Amino acid sequence: MRLIAAAIIALLIGALPARAQPKDTLTVDLPGDVATMDPQLQWDTDSYTVYRNIFDNLLTRDVSGKIVPQVATAWRYTNDTTIVFDLRSDILFHDGSRLTPDDVVFSIARITNPALKSPQLSQFDQIASAETTGPTQVTLHTKSPYPALLAQLVKLSIVPKAYVEKVGDTAFNQAVIGSGPYRLKSWQRGVQTNLEANEGYWRGKPFFKAVTFRAVPDSATRIADLRTGRADITRGLTPDDAVAMKNEKALKLSSIATERVAYLFVNALSGPTKDKRVRQAIAMAIDRDTLISALQQGYAKPTNIVLTPANFGYVADVKGWPFDPAKARALIKEAGAEGATISFITSPAYDRRLNEAVQQMLEDVGLKMTIAVMDQPTYLRRRLGTPEDAGSLSQGRWSCACQDADGVIFPLFRSGSVWSKFTNPEYDAEVDAARATLDDARRLAHYHRAFEILREEVPGIGLFQDEAIYLMRRELAFTPTANEAFFVYDMKWE
Amino acid sequence: MIGHIASRLGQALLASFGVLTIVFFIMRLSGDPTLLLVPEGASLEQINQLRHQLGFDRPLPIQFAAYLGDLARLDFGESLVQRAPVLGIVAERIPYTVALASGALLVAIGIGIPAGIVMAVARGTWLERALAGFVLAGQSLPTFWSGILLILLFGVTLGWLPTSGADGIASLIMPSLALGAVGMSTFARMTRIAVLDELSRDYVTAARARGLSRGQAVVGHVLRNAAVPVVTIAALEIGNLLAGAVIVETVFAWPGIGQLAIQSIQSRDFLVVQTVVLFVSLVYVATNLLADLLYALIDPRIRMGA
Repeated sequence: MRLIAAAIIALLIGALPARAQPKDTLTVDLPGDVATMDPQLQWDTDSYTVYRNIFDNLLTRDVSGKIVPQVATAWRYTNDTTIVFDLRSDILFHDGSRLTPDDVVFSIARITNPALKSPQLSQFDQIASAETTGPTQVTLHTKSPYPALLAQLVKLSIVPKAYVEKVGDTAFNQAVIGSGPYRLKSWQRGVQTNLEANEGYWRGKPFFKAVTFRAVPDSATRIADLRTGRADITRGLTPDDAVAMKNEKALKLSSIATERVAYLFVNALSGPTKDKRVRQAIAMAIDRDTLISALQQGYAKPTNIVLTPANFGYVADVKGWPFDPAKARALIKEAGAEGATISFITSPAYDRRLNEAVQQMLEDVGLKMTIAVMDQPTYLRRRLGTPEDAGSLSQGRWSCACQDADGVIFPLFRSGSVWSKFTNPEYDAEVDAARATLDDARRLAHYHRAFEILREEVPGIGLFQDEAIYLMRRELAFTPTANEAFFVYDMKWE
Repeated sequence: MIGHIASRLGQALLASFGVLTIVFFIMRLSGDPTLLLVPEGASLEQINQLRHQLGFDRPLPIQFAAYLGDLARLDFGESLVQRAPVLGIVAERIPYTVALASGALLVAIGIGIPAGIVMAVARGTWLERALAGFVLAGQSLPTFWSGILLILLFGVTLGWLPTSGADGIASLIMPSLALGAVGMSTFARMTRIAVLDELSRDYVTAARARGLSRGQAVVGHVLRNAAVPVVTIAALEIGNLLAGAVIVETVFAWPGIGQLAIQSIQSRDFLVVQTVVLFVSLVYVATNLLADLLYALIDPRIRMGA
């Protein structure tokens, strides 16, 4: 009787269980909606996840993280500031027009034009100019030797010049056309984005005929969607969510160590941490293994430096500070800093429990720590403001999305950078030299010395390499990558 | 009567302007969105360049004057995060908000008022105590928790309703229940008090003396008299439903203006926040005005007094 009632209710409201989904559509639950469909505007993770399936990029990374061809087939430096790209000639945009070198030049000129007000400008503003130098060739000039150029170009989506010029920036953002494996079918703001396969895609027909990206802010709801088959894959889960899902029969978890490093910023220019001994003592007071096992449930890998192995410039042989509370206590005594107040500034964007664990660890070695929580813009304003206002300590999760040390320790610790609360001419010389040469071996040597200085001076403490966690249907084949790429083209049912 | 409405309208516009001014300055005093938009590692020059392009380096009074100027021309501006006209962004969400508020109001009134009447009429019985427990639960359960429980029960375990999203009536049921629960309790309590108050009056005794049953007396005489305070609550409740749906919309991934508001506040998308606030305050004011007019309809004494 109850079953019949249930069936009647289900029929009346037209909501039969959603398990019977067409298998050729992949449904993805994302924490948020796409902000802009135009790949040259916003680049928050949700927008990035969606529009990268619509566009091709000049270069891309393979699963191992190596930079490999996409629109460009080959490239060579003709001098330290000039690089020539050979392009494919068989790529068509979704409107049938051919992708030409002019589109590549236009894409570079557009994103580097301040009038577009692109938040991504700072990633490309080392490019001085680009020009078409052959029927399938583009030449790029950088302002100075710029070793991170290729890593940045992985993020350069190629937009169609003729179409963008015809409809204008605003209309393009509403109805984008790319050359990627999927085309935009409909975009219901705040609800979902529907993509359909580009059957004539140059790398071959996509496995999934359609993709739906849904905006579901609450992680408990995303998990419920997965459990009822309403969605096939989701991301943005916490380690606790992951542990709770380990025994779901129809679902599987997949995690990958990313290029995002969790670290503690230590103010070397103001407050009690101005004393190097206090900074070193803090480094010895932190018990990474406990943080990883208790807070991250094992979803993290410890790192001695403020960089991950997924980045170029990572040096494994620079020693970390061992966890040694007794030594830390002695050093604090020696510095006369017993009972000194360490002010820790933070925002709700960061794991509250980690702040509290650090507080406990510092109090164990004789310091006091006050935690000030503020909203993200206020936190950033203080953190990026004067050393006196930036607090003594804060938690950070850093990813340059370029997998290069230059995008991490240069902005974090180079004097003059808004993030840096540290001055050291020797360090500055090393990171400056590392960004002025294209020779990988020399760059590595510079970074090695730079990390040794950072180890001794402790303007920051590397905690762990963050992991991205995905929950998906057991039948879905998907290999996550360190740069958190989400290419539906690379997924299929097993 | 017309003078009354005009003066209420004037007050309403003044209140909306006040709300808008406060929101404008508070949002900006706690930081502009530039720092949220730039990639990590952008230099000070790059940050300042973007801030200048977005116009946030101008003095606040000038930004405010420019905004009011645009508003006077009904130009709500462009979202600096979504790069699309703000009016369109907010307007797209309004149908969802209206649908959810209607569903919740239906739950609140449809369950709350009958429950209140029964609690008053059945005063002192086990039925009243059972209903009182139900009402208390509706009032006390936080929506972020009751929402998840509803999803687990009806979505995951029973599989009757979709766990999230906005695909037709089925998607609306759980958010309406979660959002309507608090209002339901308010209606039940207010109705109970109003009906109890009326039941003790002489006209009820007189009606019973004329031979009407207790039920006839309640339906025929008491309810209309008890309606005035309930209408007031309803007017306030509509405002609450629009503004208070933030958590429910987040839990159920319902794309209403509550969710839009919270996302826009987080990303400091000023113009969107201001437009949402303007809309919500106008609705608040309009429903209160409507309630005023309804009083006159229900109670001729108010009509004559005005």
